[in-house]
Amino acid sequence: MASVPIEHALILAGVLFILGLTGVIVRRNIFFILLSIEIMLNAAGLAFVAAGARWGAADGQVMFIFILTMAAAEVSVGLALVLRLVGRFRTLDVDAASQLRG
Amino acid sequence: MSAPDLIALLPLLIVAATTLAAMLLIAFYRHHQATAGVTVAGLLLALASLSLTTPHIPRVVTPLLVVDGYALFFLGLVLATTAVVTALSYRYLEPAAENVEEYYLLLLMGALGGGVLISARHFVSFFLGLELLSVSLYTLVAYTRSQSHRIEAGLKYLILAGTASAFLLFGLALVYAEQGHLVFEDVVLSDPSLFLLSGMGLLIVGVAFKLALAPFHLWTPDVYQGAPAPVTAFVATVSKGAVFALLFRFFGGVRIAEQPALLAAFGAIAILSMLAGNLLALVQDNVKRILAYSSIAHLGYLTIAFLVGGELGQTAAAFYLAIYFVTTLTAFGVVTWLSTAEEEAEALDDYRGLFRRSPHLAGIFTVALLSLAGIPPTAGLISKVYVALAGVSVSLWAPLLVLVAGSVAGVFYYMRIVITMWRDPAGDEQAVSFSAGHAPAGYLILNGLTLALLALGVYPFFLIQIIERALGAGG
Repeated sequence: MASVPIEHALILAGVLFILGLTGVIVRRNIFFILLSIEIMLNAAGLAFVAAGARWGAADGQVMFIFILTMAAAEVSVGLALVLRLVGRFRTLDVDAASQLRG
Repeated sequence: MSAPDLIALLPLLIVAATTLAAMLLIAFYRHHQATAGVTVAGLLLALASLSLTTPHIPRVVTPLLVVDGYALFFLGLVLATTAVVTALSYRYLEPAAENVEEYYLLLLMGALGGGVLISARHFVSFFLGLELLSVSLYTLVAYTRSQSHRIEAGLKYLILAGTASAFLLFGLALVYAEQGHLVFEDVVLSDPSLFLLSGMGLLIVGVAFKLALAPFHLWTPDVYQGAPAPVTAFVATVSKGAVFALLFRFFGGVRIAEQPALLAAFGAIAILSMLAGNLLALVQDNVKRILAYSSIAHLGYLTIAFLVGGELGQTAAAFYLAIYFVTTLTAFGVVTWLSTAEEEAEALDDYRGLFRRSPHLAGIFTVALLSLAGIPPTAGLISKVYVALAGVSVSLWAPLLVLVAGSVAGVFYYMRIVITMWRDPAGDEQAVSFSAGHAPAGYLILNGLTLALLALGVYPFFLIQIIERALGAGG
């Protein structure tokens, strides 16, 4: 079986990571920001799986499962905050909540 | 897992068990005082169990965790700090009309995450500890529904800390791709490959985010201002202390000063943090924001101790962190005392005439501010000199120069708060009651912390001996 070179997998993960980072910076809708963070985390997960494949070890995949679990926990807190943002400001635009300077 | 393994993990196990006990208690019997009592009792029990653990160190428990003198010292610091924050929170949350019991669960889980971070020696435990701490903090920052800027602070912290976690994980993945295993070991940077170099770079960005080091410090003032005052104290101490302890463990025996790439990266971060923290604090008129920028500067000073590395650097950093914890808790303790969950005392004007309204409380705040500024006879001076001397030993002249200049700038903004407290009250502010009858735990703790600051300023060798013994025992 022809295997994918590690560089290709890591470059793909890097591209995904940068796409996610761009989304976090550019988007103003809180849902898309949370989605972009998810893309960044999954890019890191992909890099772990690729690295695990390079060493023929399961560690990378174990790490990916941990990342999935943590992303679920993080997004549940995030969605709770989204509910409160909508409840108070009636919008999904994060710029609505900018009373603190900075 | 054998009995000595379990005993070595006892402090962490007790904190985890307390979390469960408190959760069950809330399910059956919702009572603020009882929940806070269980939390403090569990934390004190975990502190006491440190002495049971001591004969068994150093010990590697599973590939994930290592319990040694270094871990026990920081674990003690984190547990004691969490107990103090719990006591301070109790009075702060008491008037809140909503459910406040879950707050203590989150504090306990944050402390557990900090403890795991401190004893981590593996990427998995590093990641799990960090997320346990961070996810608890997202919720704590946004706790109490009454104020809309809580939501904003919570969202900002969630987005930025989530991004930082992604940076960290991607960095770890690249290091793993190069290294082939997940256990921490001395990083070899003599002839780094592209993967390793970019991995370390991403890792440093992630950690600098969590420690609020410049240029990744932008979230700090907003989160400090928006979060409830006791939570701010928790973010400033436990969260940063645990990540810093991990940083030392990760770079282990590496002498940073002898690695040009790392020295340049961390040196630049230290200098930028000291500059940004001290200069931006000068133009703030909100006490919580001033303390936020001051914490950025302090973490910059601390990075100098990290640059020194080795035993000297570790001792200096442990000493500095211990004093920084006590000072920060005192300062935020006073802010917490003056605040309630509905109304925060954060504007500089809220502190006008505090010397007339409550000389005792104003005196405590003054000692804390003097210690932050590093003015004798407080402990802050000793810890700053200790770090500076450690820096001199490896000739870190540029960061040291900034440290001295930053300390001079620091005197201005700390003194500004002190002078405000001497000014006449703006109008109808009533006297602040500060007595043991009102909330004995908070009263005793604030006085005790202040005495500790003064005592350690006069006789620091007591603490230094404890640290040297802890680090000597397999640190």
